[in-house]
Amino acid sequence: MIRKLATVVLAFVAAGSMNASADQLDTVIQRGTLNCGVVLDFPPMGYFDKDNNPAGFDVDYCNDLGAALGVDVNVLNLTWGDRIPSLVSGKTDVVIGSTSDTLERAKSVGFTYPYFVFKFQVISPKDKQISSFDDLKNLKVGAALGTTYETEYLAYAEKNGWGTDNYTAFKSENDAFLGLYQGKVDAIISTNTNIATKLQSEEFEDFVAGPFVPKYDDVVGLIAKRSEGAWIQYLNLFLVHQIRDGNLDKRYNQHFGSDAPADLIQTLRDNK
Amino acid sequence: MTYEFHWNVVFQKMPELLNGAFVTLHVSVLAMLLGIVIAILLAIAKMNNSKPFCYVATAWVETARNTPALFQIYMAYFGLGAFGIHLSPYVAVLSALVFINAGYLTETFRGGFQSIPSTQYSASKSLGMNSIQVYRYIILPQMLRRIYHPMTNQFVWSILMSSLGILVGMSELSGTTQRLQSLSFRTLEFFIVAAVMYFIITKLVLISSSLLSRKLFRGEI
Amino acid sequence: MNSLFTPLSWNDTGFILTGVMNTVTISVLAIVLGTVLGLIVGFIRAESNKLVNMLFGGLLDVLRSVPLIIQLVLFSTFVGAAGIPLDPFVAGSIVLSLYTMAFMSEVFRSGFESVPVSMQTAARSLGMNHWQTIYHIRLPIGLRAVFPSWLGVALSVIKDSALVSVIGYMELLRTSEQLISRTQQPLEILIGVGIFYFIISYPLSSYGRYVERKMAI
Repeated sequence: MIRKLATVVLAFVAAGSMNASADQLDTVIQRGTLNCGVVLDFPPMGYFDKDNNPAGFDVDYCNDLGAALGVDVNVLNLTWGDRIPSLVSGKTDVVIGSTSDTLERAKSVGFTYPYFVFKFQVISPKDKQISSFDDLKNLKVGAALGTTYETEYLAYAEKNGWGTDNYTAFKSENDAFLGLYQGKVDAIISTNTNIATKLQSEEFEDFVAGPFVPKYDDVVGLIAKRSEGAWIQYLNLFLVHQIRDGNLDKRYNQHFGSDAPADLIQTLRDNK
Repeated sequence: MTYEFHWNVVFQKMPELLNGAFVTLHVSVLAMLLGIVIAILLAIAKMNNSKPFCYVATAWVETARNTPALFQIYMAYFGLGAFGIHLSPYVAVLSALVFINAGYLTETFRGGFQSIPSTQYSASKSLGMNSIQVYRYIILPQMLRRIYHPMTNQFVWSILMSSLGILVGMSELSGTTQRLQSLSFRTLEFFIVAAVMYFIITKLVLISSSLLSRKLFRGEI
Repeated sequence: MNSLFTPLSWNDTGFILTGVMNTVTISVLAIVLGTVLGLIVGFIRAESNKLVNMLFGGLLDVLRSVPLIIQLVLFSTFVGAAGIPLDPFVAGSIVLSLYTMAFMSEVFRSGFESVPVSMQTAARSLGMNHWQTIYHIRLPIGLRAVFPSWLGVALSVIKDSALVSVIGYMELLRTSEQLISRTQQPLEILIGVGIFYFIISYPLSSYGRYVERKMAI
């Protein structure tokens, strides 16, 4: 009896110590659920459909990743600012949320290979006449707080001596578009993909896409805990397979209405 | 605990954080001053018998007291925006705080005023004082003593609530913290420093308020 | 391609109701836990010596002098970094309850201290022991005196629960924000939210003032 008990206890201890060394990849597989963080106010990458369910390119990538791992997918809605806290706090295993892979951020969090490339662009009402980035000088410009395009705009404004009086920060991407729609600002800076999607809606029919932020490609990756090397390796391979197995084209078609452009695929391949 | 703290990022950004703290203090002081002025008017309106003024004052007070501050700020920013009235994040937060401060202080002032028996007024009159003297020497000093504490609390409350500026992209202490942590992803470090800064600010306010009260009321509070 | 903006519809009722229920759940939980903890801490503070008082006082001070929104973000990030990730509801409930406790304990402490010492002496001279004095004299009298202040704190908790949205809890305000994003109709939705809070809060706060007036006379 005592021997039996001891065996059981030992088995538990062994299981426990094995668990302790399990990395994120094991944890996800054993849990049977992937907690995937997505920024759901960034169409067409992430948004809520009319039934208030998560939808978009990033959400589909979560589902593809879940399918590859053979686990269920739990999509968590994050704001830009939530992305890191959610990883650090273990609420999410991976964030597929268009995170620009800056070296400053890479000190804190682990990036995968790039999975998408954005351009930063201006959107404004048709009557505003913005043909170059310098036309923004005397206009009220907005962007979402803590994004790379906010940083880019502010750096450009500082370099040209515009000051920051004309700048308005918004808590989120959606708030920025709502602000533009209401007329709080004359123009906002966002990504080309989000702008293209917004311009197809009735609400934004009087708006027009303007110039790109000069000399800047926004290369984004998935993020995970920096210490989870093996997990990040898996994610990298997943991204390679998304291209190779045609999932990138499929998802691109669904959300942008065409095959993924050759230069996007080339960039993704070059950068890895 | 596996988290490695990187404090030097925070120290590099100290000037920006301090600037944020200054904006926090700035907006709360202004919200308090404007709130007091409006509250005095509302308290007079409420104690007055002229109906329309009384209704406006009551509606103001009840709305301010019975809805969340977060809601008021959204309303000032995006709610008014739907009417084409565009306030900057700073002004939106300021007006929401003024609105709420005025709502709460109205009741404080009214309570303070009503707590002083009207017999004192007649007594002072019979001693030969005129109305202004009665208010200046008898009513107001006692009233101030009674409302001083609730007013200090309201001030601390507005400092804390100005942190909601984060939700409309205002660059006060919380908004600045949020921006800086987004750029470097050092969430814990930046928020810990912000918490310490708020603590110091509110403590300084409370200490100076109690020093001032000692001077004003010579320890009789 | 799916359409991005869709107007508010009756299909959203269930979604909004979930938000309402979540707001009610977390508020009630925080009020109950905050009250129980506040009662204990308030009693300890009224009873104990200076040193214990200072220790408790310091902790409560921090809870009262740091904005709730910062406490929420800090706590939920911290527990995660420490290896015990909590979901937004649990993390939010803990922070909101402790925050409530900080205010409740002061309310109860002032209630206990408001019972005159002579009354306690009288009770003891009638043959009651220490605990009987507490149970029959200090608790009922002290608690009755603080009912309006208690209600005031409880009401502010209902309103402050809106902040738990920042760590991702889908309460009423976050629900409505999501709807605003989808519908671009901020005004209608915000007014609806405002009315909801008002309907819950107004009757209670009026009742509180009524009791206060009655007690003053």
